[in-house]
Amino acid sequence: MDSTENSGNGNGQNKYGGEKLKSELLTVNMGPQHPATHGVLRVEIKTDSEVVSEAIPHIGYLHRCFEKHCENIDYRGNLPFCDRMDYLAAMHMELGYCLAIEKMIGTEIPRRAEYIRVIITELQRIASHLLFTGVYAIDLGAFTPFLYCFDQREKILRLFEEISGARLLYNYIWIGGVWNDIKDGQLARIKEFCESFPAELDKYMNLVGQNKIFVERTANIGIMNAEMCYNYGATGPVLRGAGVDWDLRKKRPYSIYEELDFDVPVGTGEKGTLGDCWDRFAVRQQEMRESLKIIKQCLDGIEEGPIMGKVPKVLKLPKGEIYMRTECARGELGYHIVSDGGKVPYRVKAKSSSFTHTSMLPEVAPGLLIADFVAVIGSIDIVLGEVDR
Amino acid sequence: MNTHHEELTLKKYFQNIWNGIRTTIKGLSITIKHVYDVKPVTIEYPEVREVIPEGSRSRLFNDVQNCISCDQCAVACPVDCIYIASKPRPKDAEKIKTSNGTPIRRELTQYTIDTSLCCYCGLCTTVCPTESLTHTTDHEYASYTIDHMKYDYLDPEVVAWRDRIVK
Repeated sequence: MDSTENSGNGNGQNKYGGEKLKSELLTVNMGPQHPATHGVLRVEIKTDSEVVSEAIPHIGYLHRCFEKHCENIDYRGNLPFCDRMDYLAAMHMELGYCLAIEKMIGTEIPRRAEYIRVIITELQRIASHLLFTGVYAIDLGAFTPFLYCFDQREKILRLFEEISGARLLYNYIWIGGVWNDIKDGQLARIKEFCESFPAELDKYMNLVGQNKIFVERTANIGIMNAEMCYNYGATGPVLRGAGVDWDLRKKRPYSIYEELDFDVPVGTGEKGTLGDCWDRFAVRQQEMRESLKIIKQCLDGIEEGPIMGKVPKVLKLPKGEIYMRTECARGELGYHIVSDGGKVPYRVKAKSSSFTHTSMLPEVAPGLLIADFVAVIGSIDIVLGEVDR
Repeated sequence: MNTHHEELTLKKYFQNIWNGIRTTIKGLSITIKHVYDVKPVTIEYPEVREVIPEGSRSRLFNDVQNCISCDQCAVACPVDCIYIASKPRPKDAEKIKTSNGTPIRRELTQYTIDTSLCCYCGLCTTVCPTESLTHTTDHEYASYTIDHMKYDYLDPEVVAWRDRIVK
């Protein structure tokens, strides 16, 4: 052999050309059909063995042209499309849209309708958080809590079906009021639910929240601190989980939230660091308690009267624009509606919180294990319908 | 980046084990309570059926006897799934009325709803002046082809479904 190229010579080269054998990151596609991604989210993960070094979310698999649809259909016809953005908390989507338009045309909403709206949206918040609790437990490998949560959620959906006629996509909150009146029997059932539900909440906390395995999987994982939340514009339970006391229902009250007495739960870092997955879980558990408090007050204060305000049959908005934001189950939802004075909106833009939270994933991901990354996706509770719209 | 480790002392080590056992037993006791104390909430579907609430919005049904061909439902529909056509009735024809007394001035020649497009929002039923178009509680109407999802309410076969639909 006239050359040492093909034999090991102690210079860091072997006979196959050692400098050509490089180690590189492995690209793994999580989703869009992965059950842990909560819908059709595809995350491209660059992994170094089991550790994520980069995560790139790819969105748009559930894009349904909400904004373009709105430019072609009259104001009332847009309501069913609003429902379909966040299909797990459809009442909240309707409420924001209706409030924006009511503010534009200056309609006064009857008191009874306001009470019904608050009762319904808070029930919807509980239903949405119940789904979160159950599905988050599934993400982390526990199946039983899911069944208990769905048992309770079913009670709420049953009520919704009787009140509004549908289980998920209601089209119940209308411009000027609500569609149907709530009967006394249904109010009594809501009251019954409010009384029986706190025991269930304790159960979830004992079964899931305090469980050692669950705490190990969530505490100190996926820390989104207050600064990061401000930078990205996070809202809702993610922001409150970071210890920031910000709730639109308190800070910029809409509807009748001014008159109601409730607390805003914030993360405390009880099990680990402030703003970790466990804090976001705990904040949602406490929010359900606060929702119950709100519902109870509304049930006591509900007044008799009409449920629809005066709205012209052919709805035309005055020329101008409006931005209305509401506190939904997942965070703030803002509607920007531009009107040119015609029957159809000139432009409708929805700002969703799930989209903002998805954009935080790449910053949190580096250094996490793949299994922990699943825990982070679950903890921000995104709905892909709202991300893509 | 997001993981940090506290120092593990001997006390903490045993505390962790104790916490693991304690919380697991706590969880298991809840589960066992459910096994013996709580009634099953699921039903065995094809044999046992839930009663659908009265106001539930399922398949649309148009009672063509009461329809005055006013077109409002087709205009209100956000997905344009209602196909409606009509022609004026001849002047010498006998005057007919709907069950609530509205005179019928036009003759319906086509009334088709494409159920595969319908989003069950209920906007069409609320604008109907004679309440001929209603949501029924019938929700079991799967079909093999997408053409079967188009229901022509002038077709006697579909009209005969009325008894089946209005439960």
